[in-house]
Amino acid sequence: MAGRPNYPAELRRKNVRLALGVALIVVFMAITAIPFWKGLVALATGG
Amino acid sequence: MLATKRSLPKYLLALGAAIAGLGGTAAAEEVQRWGVNFPPPVSTTAQEIYDIHMFTMGIATVLLVIIFAVVIYSLIVHRKSRGFKPDQQFHETWFGRWSWVFVPIMVLGVDLTIAGAAQRTLERVWVVPQDQPLVDVKVIGHQWYWEFVYLDHDVTIESRYTSPEEAGIHYLRDVDNRLVLPTNQRVRFLHTSSDVIHAFWVPELAVKKDAIPGYITETWVNIQQEGVFRGQCAELCGTWHARMPIVVEAVSQEEFDGWIEEQQEIRMAALAEAAEEREWDKDDLMARGQSLYNSRCAACHQEDGSGMPPAFPAIKGSPVATGPISEHIGIILNGVPGTAMAAWNSLNDLEIAALVTYQRNAWGNDTGDVVQPAEVKAER
Amino acid sequence: MTTATVAHDDHAHHGPPSGIKRWLFSTNHKDIGTMYLVFALIMLFLGGASAMVIRAELFMPGLQLVQPDLYNNLLTNHALIMIFGAVMPAAAGLANWMIPLMIGAPDMALPRMNNLSFWILPAAALMLILSFIVPFFPGGGSQINTGWTLYPPLSLQVGMSMDFLIFALHLLGISSVLASINIIVTIFNMRAPGLRMMQLPIFVWAWLVTAFLLVLVVPVLAAGITMLLFDRHFGTSFFIAAGGGDPVLFQHIFWFFGHPEVYILILPSLGVLASILPTFSRKPLFGHHSLIGAMIAIAALGMIVWAHHQYTVGMSLAAVQYFMLMTILISIPVGLIIFNYMMTMWRGAMTFETPMLFTVAIILMFSFGGLTGVMLAVVPADMQYHDSMFVVAHFHYVLLPGAVWGLFAGVFYWLPKWTGHMYDERLAKTFFWVHVVSFNITFFPQHFLGLAGMPRRIADYNIMFTEFNMISSVGAFFFGLSHLLFLYIIIKTVRGGEKAKARAWEHAEGLEWEVDSPPAHHTWTTPPKIKTA
Repeated sequence: MAGRPNYPAELRRKNVRLALGVALIVVFMAITAIPFWKGLVALATGG
Repeated sequence: MLATKRSLPKYLLALGAAIAGLGGTAAAEEVQRWGVNFPPPVSTTAQEIYDIHMFTMGIATVLLVIIFAVVIYSLIVHRKSRGFKPDQQFHETWFGRWSWVFVPIMVLGVDLTIAGAAQRTLERVWVVPQDQPLVDVKVIGHQWYWEFVYLDHDVTIESRYTSPEEAGIHYLRDVDNRLVLPTNQRVRFLHTSSDVIHAFWVPELAVKKDAIPGYITETWVNIQQEGVFRGQCAELCGTWHARMPIVVEAVSQEEFDGWIEEQQEIRMAALAEAAEEREWDKDDLMARGQSLYNSRCAACHQEDGSGMPPAFPAIKGSPVATGPISEHIGIILNGVPGTAMAAWNSLNDLEIAALVTYQRNAWGNDTGDVVQPAEVKAER
Repeated sequence: MTTATVAHDDHAHHGPPSGIKRWLFSTNHKDIGTMYLVFALIMLFLGGASAMVIRAELFMPGLQLVQPDLYNNLLTNHALIMIFGAVMPAAAGLANWMIPLMIGAPDMALPRMNNLSFWILPAAALMLILSFIVPFFPGGGSQINTGWTLYPPLSLQVGMSMDFLIFALHLLGISSVLASINIIVTIFNMRAPGLRMMQLPIFVWAWLVTAFLLVLVVPVLAAGITMLLFDRHFGTSFFIAAGGGDPVLFQHIFWFFGHPEVYILILPSLGVLASILPTFSRKPLFGHHSLIGAMIAIAALGMIVWAHHQYTVGMSLAAVQYFMLMTILISIPVGLIIFNYMMTMWRGAMTFETPMLFTVAIILMFSFGGLTGVMLAVVPADMQYHDSMFVVAHFHYVLLPGAVWGLFAGVFYWLPKWTGHMYDERLAKTFFWVHVVSFNITFFPQHFLGLAGMPRRIADYNIMFTEFNMISSVGAFFFGLSHLLFLYIIIKTVRGGEKAKARAWEHAEGLEWEVDSPPAHHTWTTPPKIKTA
């Protein structure tokens, strides 16, 4: 839309790359949540 | 030893009130009545918990006073309107440079003091001592009443909320059948639940533990004082969470033994009655059914059978209560999975027969059906 | 860090497009920030209204106004609306407005994603509100009576409104994860040339830490509520004991999200204070570096203490010992932050405009809430406090001063920058005093209620709890009404008032004060020159 700053291509690439990197953490946490926490809880409760 | 320190904060509060000109003893009584701190502890562990609570609160109060004093001093002295010149180098003095080291060390000291003191109490509270015989009470949470099973005596008590008329000033802290426990005797509670998570809490005993389906959690007490101690469910368990009181009646060992004997006799009598092979007449079943219905079913389905849709369907005019008898019995015996309707198969055949008869004839459901215990037995 | 000067389309210099398009298609950090703040304000009133009904019901023993299920539904919605609808969007609004201004960036790093992360919110709010009202329609199922913690098996009994709620939470989670990614990328990549990380204002640091916390814990909540959804509809039994599942597992997953969430709410507000204190104390911030360290430490410790919310589930002795010690240790970084803020005031030349009044009140009241938190961390004593009104009092003393007041302080502090007008100081001070005094009347007595044995989340109570509940309810009504004054002050400031200078406060420091009040639609298209300190 009008008024969006026109970042240089190099900066845009850099931004998108970092954003995708952070998104990887998100995916990782979501996937590990199920098995990982189950195991940790078993440890904590001795069950 | 017990309950010697308990009145200190109340005393201080009362003192404050007296200074404010409200009159000494009257104010003290008033503060006592309002309840501003834990109720007087009556068990050994409750006393320890009370002490650690007062200890931590004392430390917290001292820290709070220090913080308030520093801030208020600063607010009064370091203000522009008094012409105070700001010290632009303050953050670069040795104090500013090294505070990030010594402040955490000081806080760590306080933390370890608290954790260390708590540690000793925690071990005693958490681990049930096994070196002496225990009275085992299984505590089962239901939506919305408590069931107490005396495992060593084959006695089961169901404990339900009583109406405001019966309970009077103990409304929501009063039950029909109390949890009777012996004094000077270690009692272990084994908590579990038949439906959702509940929590067993009696403040005077300082026990609180969740009752979780599929789990058995344990706490223990050694009550030092006879009396009646009131608590209630502490974990949100649905609609009538507020109506799950717990009333502990602590009595001497002799009294406790007598009470157990009495309960066993009552139970045998009920069993014998249910096992009688006879035809029950409608009026008898209706009378029994009504009292059972009002104590077991009315919390959800209401005394007039109108229910609280959609969570709790009406029985009045319902297809179940006017349809086939066997399905009606089946729902009571097996419950409805995925809803708050539990399986009531712990009731005996006579009780279920009475309930079904009542539900099929009350509130204009006039089906005229009379259900006999034998029919229930056949459905099991 | 970029050294590129940002070019613009020629027509962009004529200002924003007019009408609805300006807002619907906005990629401008200031407009999106404004939308976040307005959205949060609307939600604040919705959440506040439900709290008013709760306090009205609790005014006396007995069931007068609402049935227990509606009461439980209201308290669930109060929490969710306040946390996800009011506080988090308000903090995101401040971040959108201030972070680019403070770091000398022309806009957020990913402006179109910024638009998306805001516009998911109204949809999520709609789902959230539907989850509240669906049961009132025929066939709508039962009401949500679980509290915001959604513990199974209770949450498995609830009707379709729980599904609305689960999807609302998913949307809210997506929105805040996208916003966090944007903030992280902006802070790392968009700083003005020469602006080093350690030079960044504490507010920016606080948001950086918060954003990382969000990215780490929101997906875990999403996983947890998805498992709940599967248990409800697809025959799994993650949390159903009868099927070999574990009801307590949900609590672990929920609080692995839920405890860091508390710091997510608090950290941005604590960051705001670091901007306000030096301005009104007229001397530099005390302990800039140790504040950054403390915030990182809070985030790290905050992620490994979750089970102190569930001391009563029957964990082993070793487990509760660990959680107790770690929880108590959080007082170290929090104490350091409070200490640094007190020392910023110390030997300053203070004046007491409304943002500073709020700041002082936060330091005092938040310390109080923190200290009751230390009491709660002590496992044996928690046997009494747990799930009582003491907990309710504690977390309101933490979250109102720690999160909400910090946002109020930030709004008053930066309102002149945003609108170009000074707010009405006399009215704002009136608001402050009514708000803070009635807050204490509302929540202080709840400590006593909890210690005396009143559980939380009950619609009806024994007469022994009447007096303090009455006091609390009366306080709550004044507290609720005071927000109308807040609304009036904001509207009045937006519509006019004394012209604000670029540096609205005499001693204000920071790049945000180098641009006009109100700032042009695009700022820092040429990055500012950073003084090398």
